Amino acid sequence: MKRLLTMTLACAVGLAMLSFLGCSSEQKTEKAEKAEKAVVAAPAGDTVTVGIILPLSGGQAKFGEVEKKSFDMALDEINTAGGINGKKLVFMYEDDTGRPDVGRSAAEKLINKDKVVMLGGGYSSSVTFAVAGVAQQNRLPFLINTGSADKITEQGWEYIFRLNPPASEYPKAVESFLTEVVKPKSAAILFENSNFGTSSSKEFNETCQRLGIEVVLLEGYEHGGVDFKPLLVKVKEKNPDIVYMVSYLMDASLLMKQSKELQIMPKAFIGGGAGFTLPEFIENTGSAGNAVFSATLWYQTLPYPGAKEYYDKFVKLYDGPTEYHGAEAYAAAFVIADTLKRAKSFSAEDIRQALAETDMTTVFGPVKFKAYDTKTNQNDVATYMVQWIDGNLELVWPETHASKKYMYPIDWAAMWGK
Amino acid sequence: MKNRSWAQLIAPLILLAFPLFVDSDYYRHVVIMALMWVVIGSSWNLLAGFTGQVSFGHAIFFGIGAYSAGLLKMHLGLSPWWGMLLGGPMAMAIGFVIGWICFRLRGPYFALATIAVGEIFHLLFKYFNNFTGGMEGILIIQTFRSKLPYYFLALGLAGACVLTIILVMRSKWGYYFISIREDQDAAESMGISAFRYKSLSLMISSFFTGLAGAFYMNYMAFIDPEVVYSLHYISIMAILVGIIGGVGTIWGPAVGAFIMVLVQETFRSSIFGLAPDWVSEAHALVFGVLVMFVILFMANGVVGDWKKITHLFTGKKQAPSTNGSAA
Repeated sequence: MKRLLTMTLACAVGLAMLSFLGCSSEQKTEKAEKAEKAVVAAPAGDTVTVGIILPLSGGQAKFGEVEKKSFDMALDEINTAGGINGKKLVFMYEDDTGRPDVGRSAAEKLINKDKVVMLGGGYSSSVTFAVAGVAQQNRLPFLINTGSADKITEQGWEYIFRLNPPASEYPKAVESFLTEVVKPKSAAILFENSNFGTSSSKEFNETCQRLGIEVVLLEGYEHGGVDFKPLLVKVKEKNPDIVYMVSYLMDASLLMKQSKELQIMPKAFIGGGAGFTLPEFIENTGSAGNAVFSATLWYQTLPYPGAKEYYDKFVKLYDGPTEYHGAEAYAAAFVIADTLKRAKSFSAEDIRQALAETDMTTVFGPVKFKAYDTKTNQNDVATYMVQWIDGNLELVWPETHASKKYMYPIDWAAMWGK
Repeated sequence: MKNRSWAQLIAPLILLAFPLFVDSDYYRHVVIMALMWVVIGSSWNLLAGFTGQVSFGHAIFFGIGAYSAGLLKMHLGLSPWWGMLLGGPMAMAIGFVIGWICFRLRGPYFALATIAVGEIFHLLFKYFNNFTGGMEGILIIQTFRSKLPYYFLALGLAGACVLTIILVMRSKWGYYFISIREDQDAAESMGISAFRYKSLSLMISSFFTGLAGAFYMNYMAFIDPEVVYSLHYISIMAILVGIIGGVGTIWGPAVGAFIMVLVQETFRSSIFGLAPDWVSEAHALVFGVLVMFVILFMANGVVGDWKKITHLFTGKKQAPSTNGSAA
């Protein structure tokens, strides 16, 4: 009896102390920020709040982290340079934990409770899809920086804008590399059974058919597996010229490690973005990840103004490299700032108008929202191909922008040492 | 006991009047989610708490309900509201078939079977992506911009579900359910068909879970197999709602649902932005601690051990517990 009481008390005290600790360390700023946030509803205040929805916990947290750091970095620069016409820009982050229903809650909170003037972020395709639905319904502009399922910009939603290309366009550069250099006859496509994986692989399958490449294996797998050997044995049996994989980080690393163990030696391993470009990929795989190609949307040596500076600053500030996801987020922050500066007022309609008229150059390349094919408000982005060469991610295709000559053909036996 | 019957009267009134006092769409959204979990938790509790058949597969029925609504829209272009009619019966039919197969197993073996069947559904809906839309999911646009229709619909569902369970538990069926929970063989020897009454319990349970699923489709407007057939976020959450509130009590899951949804939302948003950011990063941890605390100190849940809790503060001697728990 007494023990129970003590226990409850201890817990209560513990919790209270926690909240005090939290408060006292950040009391000033938090309170100040609260006060400012309250004013945001009326644009006369001296801050402007934009809601950013990212996966900060859960399986995609690695990507969310890179993007949040980039958003923070950009925010700092924007505010140092005078903010939004003298007003301070504030990013209010919400964690979507990688789940569409949580993303929806987060969007509801930002729109209805915090009264943000617009939304940004959006990492995974399914979460972005759900959030976009909420934004469109509430008539609040939403600038997506990563969520890439094609469908998102095919709904005719006038409040939804997308900075990154749709998933189907990620392998554009891969396509020309294949026709000009590798000239494969057969391909195996492995993809994570997710929104991004399914739509990318579907598109690559069609590309292969168009190019006359026989797809000998098209198979999805469950994300988070520990043993891909049953799948890879099938690949080895079919012995395709290229293996194309759409995977997030852990699966990407494991697929390559186990391919090395099984001595699968196609002409090329090509990743469809996402996990294959993260610095952790090469740390996890070591030599198994070497010479792997990947589609990408950005590389620091590209001749976009500020690209190299962004990369160097990020490395200096956070002590680790960044890649295309970070660049997308960094660029998105500047597009948001630019839009808010040009908007006649902070009403949703004026911001939407300003966003639609965006025409600027960012570290991620030129940004302009257009309608093409069945898509609306879609930024048209060039895609590239990178390759891991001696532990470094190098831009290899198109050759006009290359930071290093691509490594092909690849002598796997010599490299893997068997 | 008197206090509790007062609470039973007042709580529904407060919920009815809630949207009159709170016009923030965000808080309404949180309560709508809690009400949806009241339905799922109470349904789970009818089967697990009262009939003693612990299910780890309630996501099946939830998913069937949600997809009934979603697929109607996707293939036939019908309003997903028709799913509210179809979702319940569909889930009930699937529930019957699953029960017919799985009720040959008892206790933990039944629980394991439900996990397996749940995962089968998860994978089937992912694999047949031509029919189900696969991982690209199904997206609709909500019918109403206002939260009010959804709020009262969710409240109505929760009310109907809890009321049905009260009526069932007062009828002969309720006694049969409990006798099966306490000792299936003894019940059979008394002439109670264990299979029939376990099936009935499962069918009522799956019917309401299916309705909750159809409601989810209409309200959340986006589903994919990962969301609605999730072992973690639906099946286990249903169990947690039951355990926190009180397994084998009428009002337990209702209380549990509010606790779980509020705790989750509070911590995810860093106590509504008052606390520093790292609080939101710890929200999964808080769940774990809460569950451990309840299991260690209040094995019958908040409602089941309510006396224990009040006695802590009034200092009265603890009455011997009469509230049997199945789990």
